[in-house]
Amino acid sequence: MELEIPLTEKEGKVSTITSLDSDILNSATAVKRAVTTTGVRVSIEMKQEGSQEPEASALKPETRVKEEPDLGFEGKESLKDDMSLDVAEGKEVNSRMSFYEFLQATNTRVVRVKECLNTQIIGAEKPKELEIRVKEEAGKEITVEEPDTYKQEGKSESKLPLFPEHCEFNEGKSDGFKVNGVVKEVKEQPKDLRITFKEESDVCEGEVKSESNQPRVFQKNIRGMTFKEYCEITERKSNGCTQNVRVKEEPDIVVMEKPTELFASYSRRQKPMNVTREMVEDTRINGINVEDGDFPEEADWYLVGRTMVTGLSTSKGRKLVDNEIVHFVFPNTNLRFNSQWIVRFSTKRYGEIGRLPMEWGKCVVPLVNSTKVKVLGRCIAAPPSLHIMQEIMLYVSFYIHNSIFTELDKSTWRLETTSNIDSTVYPLLTLFKLLKIKPYQKAEFTPGELNSRKRSLNLEGEEEAAAMLSLTKRRKVCQQYPEQNKDEQAISESSLNKLVGAADIYNLEEMEPPSSLICKLKPYQKQALYWMSEAERGLDAEKAAKTLHPCWAAYRICDERASSIYLNIFSGEATTQFPTATQMARGGILADAMGLGKTVMTIALILARTGKGSTESQESTSNKKEKTWPKAKGGTLVVCPMALLGQWKDELETHAETESISIFVHYGGDRTKDSRVISGYDVVLTTYGVLTASYKSDLENSIFHRVEWYRVVLDEAHTIKSWKTIAAQAAFALSSHCRWCLTGTPLQNNLEDLYSLLCFLHVEPWCNWAWWNKLIQRPYENGDPRGLKLIKAILRPLMLRRTKDTKDKAGRPILVLPPTDIQIIECEHSEAEHDFYDALFRRSKVQFDQFVAQGKVLHNYASILELLLRLRQCCNHPFLVMSRADSQQYADLSKLTRRFLETNANSAPPGQTGPTRAYIEEVVKGIRQGENTECPICMEYADDPVLTPCAHRMCRECILSSWRAPTTGLCPICRTLLKKTELITCPTEDKFRVDVEKNWKESSKVSKLLECLERIRRSSSGEKSIVFSQWTSFLDLLEIPLRRRRIGFLRFDGKLVQKQRERVLKEFNETEEKTVLLMSLKAGGVGLNLTAASNVFLMDPWWNPAVEEQAIMRIHRIGQKRTVTVRRFIVKDTVEERLQQVQAKKQRMIAGALTDEEVRSARIEELKMLFR
Amino acid sequence: MANSNLPRRIIKETQRLLSEPAPGISASPSEDNMRYFNVMILGPTQSPYEGGVFKLELFLPEEYPMAAPKVRFLTKIYHPNIDKLGRICLDILKDKWSPALQIRTVLLSIQALLSAPNPDDPLSENIAKHWKTNEAEAVETAKEWTRLYASGA
Repeated sequence: MELEIPLTEKEGKVSTITSLDSDILNSATAVKRAVTTTGVRVSIEMKQEGSQEPEASALKPETRVKEEPDLGFEGKESLKDDMSLDVAEGKEVNSRMSFYEFLQATNTRVVRVKECLNTQIIGAEKPKELEIRVKEEAGKEITVEEPDTYKQEGKSESKLPLFPEHCEFNEGKSDGFKVNGVVKEVKEQPKDLRITFKEESDVCEGEVKSESNQPRVFQKNIRGMTFKEYCEITERKSNGCTQNVRVKEEPDIVVMEKPTELFASYSRRQKPMNVTREMVEDTRINGINVEDGDFPEEADWYLVGRTMVTGLSTSKGRKLVDNEIVHFVFPNTNLRFNSQWIVRFSTKRYGEIGRLPMEWGKCVVPLVNSTKVKVLGRCIAAPPSLHIMQEIMLYVSFYIHNSIFTELDKSTWRLETTSNIDSTVYPLLTLFKLLKIKPYQKAEFTPGELNSRKRSLNLEGEEEAAAMLSLTKRRKVCQQYPEQNKDEQAISESSLNKLVGAADIYNLEEMEPPSSLICKLKPYQKQALYWMSEAERGLDAEKAAKTLHPCWAAYRICDERASSIYLNIFSGEATTQFPTATQMARGGILADAMGLGKTVMTIALILARTGKGSTESQESTSNKKEKTWPKAKGGTLVVCPMALLGQWKDELETHAETESISIFVHYGGDRTKDSRVISGYDVVLTTYGVLTASYKSDLENSIFHRVEWYRVVLDEAHTIKSWKTIAAQAAFALSSHCRWCLTGTPLQNNLEDLYSLLCFLHVEPWCNWAWWNKLIQRPYENGDPRGLKLIKAILRPLMLRRTKDTKDKAGRPILVLPPTDIQIIECEHSEAEHDFYDALFRRSKVQFDQFVAQGKVLHNYASILELLLRLRQCCNHPFLVMSRADSQQYADLSKLTRRFLETNANSAPPGQTGPTRAYIEEVVKGIRQGENTECPICMEYADDPVLTPCAHRMCRECILSSWRAPTTGLCPICRTLLKKTELITCPTEDKFRVDVEKNWKESSKVSKLLECLERIRRSSSGEKSIVFSQWTSFLDLLEIPLRRRRIGFLRFDGKLVQKQRERVLKEFNETEEKTVLLMSLKAGGVGLNLTAASNVFLMDPWWNPAVEEQAIMRIHRIGQKRTVTVRRFIVKDTVEERLQQVQAKKQRMIAGALTDEEVRSARIEELKMLFR
Repeated sequence: MANSNLPRRIIKETQRLLSEPAPGISASPSEDNMRYFNVMILGPTQSPYEGGVFKLELFLPEEYPMAAPKVRFLTKIYHPNIDKLGRICLDILKDKWSPALQIRTVLLSIQALLSAPNPDDPLSENIAKHWKTNEAEAVETAKEWTRLYASGA
């Protein structure tokens, strides 16, 4: 660049600004401007403009000047308007701008770009470097000689404008002054900076006149600096460099009003303008001065950070100049949809210019609305002429109000509670992210990590480069605490079952139980004790109090006055109080399978760590919430279902040495209300009902919630599987140092069951429904395997689950159950039986083949099953089939019809018609034809059907079990009230009772069974046996030989009501005489414990092998001390044998593995196989 | 798997529901829990719910068939006997349950309930009041809701 101006100094040398009069700026500055293109009046850029076409600009002043008077006038007017607006904001100015500061800025830049700097600036006639307008009325003088002697006589108190730091940008025709500045040795001796303002047109040099109540705006321009330089300056300022301290201490905003008269005088001088013409015109048209200036530091607002934001223009034209301050307009919060996130920005001159990108809007809007954050910005680069949707670079500063650091209420500052994670943005967190402020201490795991495998667009490198904020990175505190085990992913989990049926080998240390425990623990129980103690210990209190909670990250903001800010990266909560790890879950889920001794393990734990009087860390938890009253410190609270209350008490008393612990049962009518009473005991037992009731009535003031427990144990914790229930809420609200869930079935129906347990355990962040739902529940429901993987990873450190199949280190099962010995006893029909069976089979086959030929197999499914049923029964004992002999059936049926009609004639009340005669006849006809309808309850073609007086047919067991009372209930079909005595047994078993007793003959199967039973009896080992059959009629038959052989037996089937069942089982467990239990396969509910027996006889194969399996499991379970011998009876060459083959296939069908069509064809195939 | 312990009755019911579905009703068990059914009921013709496709969930508790299935509307519906959580006020789901009832009959009953709202035995007081004071308007709201929430999309 050619330089017209001779006064250039050598590169790198100190520039001396002898005068800042305008046209000075002809020094060539090949400034690497990062941004601007439009030159304006000031400083460096001016120089460039000047250097580029000094001639041209020199030729132009006339034109320009002509228009000025108007401008000046308008400018004044609108400026005033603005001022009054600002005044209306009513804030006190606490920061003002000074020349000096400006010069610092410019000079800084000068130094920076020294390589191309030839800033010999000589006073010219027209001030361009600095333009100061003085209101005409004012008549005061400012002479800035040097910083130390900086005086400003005309300094005035003024009101804070809309944006406190904003400075009125004077468009630069201010001619009232000549500013003479001398800058000496800028770099080395910034203090030597000397500036003289000279008012040429008027009288005095360096005089600034200002109205006393008018904010004086100093205009400053940092235009032309590269972005980077700009940043450096700002950074330096924010860092409080000594250079600038003075300025900060005495900030001032100086308004320079341009007096028209002055202008007039100025215009005479016809100075060449280095301003692009368009710009000038723009300015004039709008008549408002360009705002720029630096944002000063304020006492109440701490700078969070500054960054570049790319906004989008929403307007057209030449509207922005670089470094112009933009004002942000925040939408109303109640706007719908996305418009509520649109942050628009405008300039004083043109109004709306553009908007911020949505990502910024989303985080900034809630923050600003909270009134704790404010945002200030300026334009740093914009296209000279804007089009819609063009990018505008803004440099935006974020401030946070110091009240969040100083307010006494240290409660967490939460902007909004969230229910939907996907659509929720955590404003502060997002802001920090956008500002690229990194936590100096990161959270243990982040949503991002958990969220998915997909790499988040983590622009690490750029982040570093762009980070303008010097953040001290402190030591990373390494915590050893349960975190995600990465290896976990390698473990395949195909089913939920496997998930909780954790069958992997636990390699745990053993811990010797305390001496006060009387019973002896098995090795796996000692392991549990170790595991539980470790889990309770967690981090020790002192360490925990100094350790950052893993869900929180610590941030330090730009402003050094501010203390750290902690953000919960999951919930978005922010606090300035150090979130310690003490609030973390201590405890877990002991999910050992039923019978492994969870209760005993827990008792051992209670004895090992009573918590009472232990110094350990209770303090740290209690200070978490300072209540109005201090919480009494309690021992262990055990909450269990009512049925187990007695058992807990018994076990505590038997297993714990007397006097070693005090036990209190909080249950029953007159319960104490005094929390001090219950907190005085080592162990308090109560039920879920009591806990719920007291929570319901007193909420957090309930007797349980007023105690700070050492440990809360929920027995059968799946009781609170529904997290919305009050029972669950009551449990969640308990305050305790340690929490334990005991359950054999942590998952019952739904994955959600686990959520409730995690809530109780206070496992963050999973006790937040939104997170749970997003990362676990929903993926799981959508079949995304990551949901399961994650929950598995979460549970791994929290849950201990062993089953009786779990192996120890050496590969031995942790619990050794006696083996089972399954034998298949093949029987052979005697000749007579064989003939009978054969005849029956042939007859059935003819019928079946007929159906097949007609293609009506499935239509006659019922009939076919009936045929099969006969054949199968025949294998057990021909009598079962014979009893249905046609000749006898008719007689019974006639009797049956008569009875029906009689009953109904007598009993039907006038209004209610019983079954009609026609209906009854239909039913009877059906029975007569041997039609066995499906029981409406079990949907099986079951044996032992009964008829109700209302002529409905179903299994005896089904109808009886549907009744609540033992002897009376409603008909499941028509709701007629029935009595048990009114049920008519269908004509099947009646008959053989007459015949069989007299004509008793053992079938081969019965003979085999009796042989076995006799052998057992002879062995006098006291072993007991259970005989299963599907047919109660067969059990009836079996009673005959047993009685004859004087083998004591009991009977258990659907005919028994609950109380009788209990009595029978109790008797069977205790008796010495009755060593055989006849049991119907269908009877016997969940949890039957038949470990008293060790011999199982399965008399007939069942369609579904799982049913047989279950029957065996009732005997072969924890508590079984002997080898369990299972004997399955199969008659050779009969349908039974083939049924065995079907079973395998059947299993698949039942599991739903086959499609409908497959089921159909499979059924036919299967049936064909049976009739082969 | 839990499914292998499924009572035969449930298997049978499921198979029948799938092979012979009731008109306007579809119910299919969830793959991982055979006791959980996803149900869709078409709004009966001549009712304000006509044209709507209503999603429900049905769960067979452990005690089923001795205890009633648990059924709940997932689709929002304006009906005096159905509350905003989708819970249904229907006697056979409560005290009038009978083990002879089945999934199919329960769903048919619910379908019938849509045809015949019963504001005298309300679950949702406001809607029932609306229904009683201004039935025409209530029906309009029901239609509107059907269009808004149950239009199948």
